[in-house]
Amino acid sequence: MRTALILLLLLAVGAVAGSLIPQVGISDDKISQMFVDHPLRATVYEATGLFDVYGSWWFTLIYALLLTSLAACLFPRTRALLRTLRTRPQPARELDSMRLYVERSVAVPPGTVLDRSANILRRKRFRVDRVGGAVPQVAADKGIAREAGSLLFHWAFFLIVIGIFYGKGTGFTGYAVIPEGTTWTEAHANYDGTAREGRFFNENHTGAQVRVEEFTVVYEPDGTPQEFTTTAELLHGDGTSAGTADIELNAPGSVDGVDFYQYGYGWAPVIEVTDADGEILFSGPVIFEQDRAPKGISQAAMPWTGAVKLPSLRPQVGVAFRLLPDPETALVSEMTDEPIPVLKPSHPVLALRVFEGDLRLDVAQRVTELDPVGLQERRSGIVPLGEDVRIGGGVTVSFPELREYTVLQVGRDAGVGIMLLAAILILGGLLPALYSSRRRVWVRADPAPHGSVLKVGGFALQRRSEFEEEFARLVEAMARATDHASAIESETERT
Amino acid sequence: MEQLSQISNIAFWTALCLYAVAMVFDFYYLGFRREGAWKIANVLSWAGLAVQAVSVVTRGIAAGHLPWGNMYEYSSIVALIMVAVEKLVVELRYKVRTVAGFVLLAAVATMLIAGTALYRDPGPLVPALDSAWLMIHVILVITASALLMLGAGVLSPLFLVKVRQERRGAAAIGATRVPRGESEGATADDPPGFEPGADEPVGSASMAATATATVAAAATAPPGAGSPLLAKRGILPPSETLDRLAYRTIAVGFVVWTFAVIAGAIWAQRAWGRYWGWDPKEVWAFITWVVFAGYLHARATAGWKGTRAALLASVGFVVVLFTYYVVNIFIVGLHSYAGVS
Repeated sequence: MRTALILLLLLAVGAVAGSLIPQVGISDDKISQMFVDHPLRATVYEATGLFDVYGSWWFTLIYALLLTSLAACLFPRTRALLRTLRTRPQPARELDSMRLYVERSVAVPPGTVLDRSANILRRKRFRVDRVGGAVPQVAADKGIAREAGSLLFHWAFFLIVIGIFYGKGTGFTGYAVIPEGTTWTEAHANYDGTAREGRFFNENHTGAQVRVEEFTVVYEPDGTPQEFTTTAELLHGDGTSAGTADIELNAPGSVDGVDFYQYGYGWAPVIEVTDADGEILFSGPVIFEQDRAPKGISQAAMPWTGAVKLPSLRPQVGVAFRLLPDPETALVSEMTDEPIPVLKPSHPVLALRVFEGDLRLDVAQRVTELDPVGLQERRSGIVPLGEDVRIGGGVTVSFPELREYTVLQVGRDAGVGIMLLAAILILGGLLPALYSSRRRVWVRADPAPHGSVLKVGGFALQRRSEFEEEFARLVEAMARATDHASAIESETERT
Repeated sequence: MEQLSQISNIAFWTALCLYAVAMVFDFYYLGFRREGAWKIANVLSWAGLAVQAVSVVTRGIAAGHLPWGNMYEYSSIVALIMVAVEKLVVELRYKVRTVAGFVLLAAVATMLIAGTALYRDPGPLVPALDSAWLMIHVILVITASALLMLGAGVLSPLFLVKVRQERRGAAAIGATRVPRGESEGATADDPPGFEPGADEPVGSASMAATATATVAAAATAPPGAGSPLLAKRGILPPSETLDRLAYRTIAVGFVVWTFAVIAGAIWAQRAWGRYWGWDPKEVWAFITWVVFAGYLHARATAGWKGTRAALLASVGFVVVLFTYYVVNIFIVGLHSYAGVS
């Protein structure tokens, strides 16, 4: 147990490191910042896995060793418990050297004393064995639940490891960005690179669909969102409807074993671009995003920006958009460069900047941003909701509708049930492991002139002061059941 | 609402003052064993508990949700539970009166920090917090924190102090036997095959008060009994009593903490789609769990029980404080809406 104890504490120390050093997937920007500020330290951290403590080889090694040491301890203990369960309580040779030992004179003959004492012990849920032989006695024990609970508790940790590896290995997570009025299909390509799939996942995407009907958000007066709801119809992989769901915080939607959690939202203005002949070059909701707010500025105040790329034009054209809540703030914002929160725009306006040149679409880039390298800015302008604006070359940009989009976190984890079972076993095992106690009681009766001498001995391995009380109560009950008055009483009861 | 919130605040500070005065009388009782001082402290503490209960309830009505939505509300209930457990369990069940002052000191400190640095007017909950599993999670964490702070933050350190005193006392009178608050291991009537002293010390010198002495227990003398050490016992309860009280409190705290982590994981699965994500608060909840699991095992391990186990508990106490104050206030994570910034 000493080895396990040290490994357990090592695990805690490793976890401390993981909470103090920025971790991959939790604070990536802090990691890249450290590579800039302290390149040597960052390199050392990276080489030793300190940026990914919980996935590092040494953290894995610690808990693998811990589990090994645990298993080495649990196997013999489990075998011993099974053996104990099969055998009867052991008789004792001597009672008067027990930690607790009492003698009482009682009114009934020895055989009756043993019978009644055995009954009392049975009623108190002791395992009881009436031993004959040279020294007839009652041997009883109780509290196997302690060891059984302890074993259950510890074995459940293996179940946890199984649950984690099964769930993560066969599952996936990702993010779905879905504008109102559009349908999103659960498939690898539609995660826009955010899908993280388990090792044994094998591209088992379900093809389930989410048709987002409406997204609503309610703000507090100070601009913090109070509640947000995605109202969506969920469809099975075969196209049949699985009903409509209101997906909210703490209320995920689910179809085909895939869960959808409300994660984020934003503005998706519908933008239409036509060329001189009225041919549609682009039409649809465009995802607008916010940059992360610098320190001291509320995230709500950050501008919403998006882009439309028109690679079919020569030269290629890219339009960068910025959403503003109404024309006045558009003006103020233009003049002061102050950020303006866009909560519920009354008369929304898109400010746009038109770029010409090479969009460099062969280079990886974000959908919501233009790559400035090959582009020159040609002109700028604004287009209010429901109107259009010419951006040169006969091209017209119109802004017919302002919609919102929702971001759903999508995932499947088939190990959750195993984890829940493990949690129940852990709690169910912990209680008896701590609060039951292994205790033994023996009863003998020697013949005496007017009945017999009741002799009770016993001890407990844990919770000894509680056992002292319990032992006293047992002896009291045995004495009462075997004294003359109650003996007659119980005789009459029986007839 | 405004009025209720004020009533709550007044009740909060009244309770704090009652605890502070009770603490003075409790310490006086500790030093001079005047029954009257303890009686006054007892009345004041119970009054404090009643007043603080009023504070918590009115706060909940004023805020329109269960009153554990931010650190101020959380701290207040932690203090309430610490004092209540000390009164009901330590004093009434285990008949130990001499640790009350230290518990009140911890409660008063917790409430002072809460009432000054962490105070916020009652308000609506952040939407993510509005969930039944979360409410269960938080109240369990509060209860567990109170128990762990009581056991590991008050009783275990007192045990360490007492053990030092006893050792020094033993050295001073040249006693050969040094009680170290440890179990004496297997004794004559433990037949082979039984693991000796799996989790608790053997003797019950102090616990005799709880054991009905009708049995022949007295025949097997508890360790230390009859030695000059007991006669010269100092002002604190015997180390064995402190060790056992600390163990019992921490064991319950550990069970509740385990349940709290599970409830939190169930909520996280519903709210965030993952039951565990190594978020800083989750990491520290895990560290707390591991350290106290370590304590429970250490207490049953030869060479670790007694002083070393108690040191581990003290580390656990520091971890609980760190998890609560430092992680909540200084480390950004998914849990950082606990109502501070």
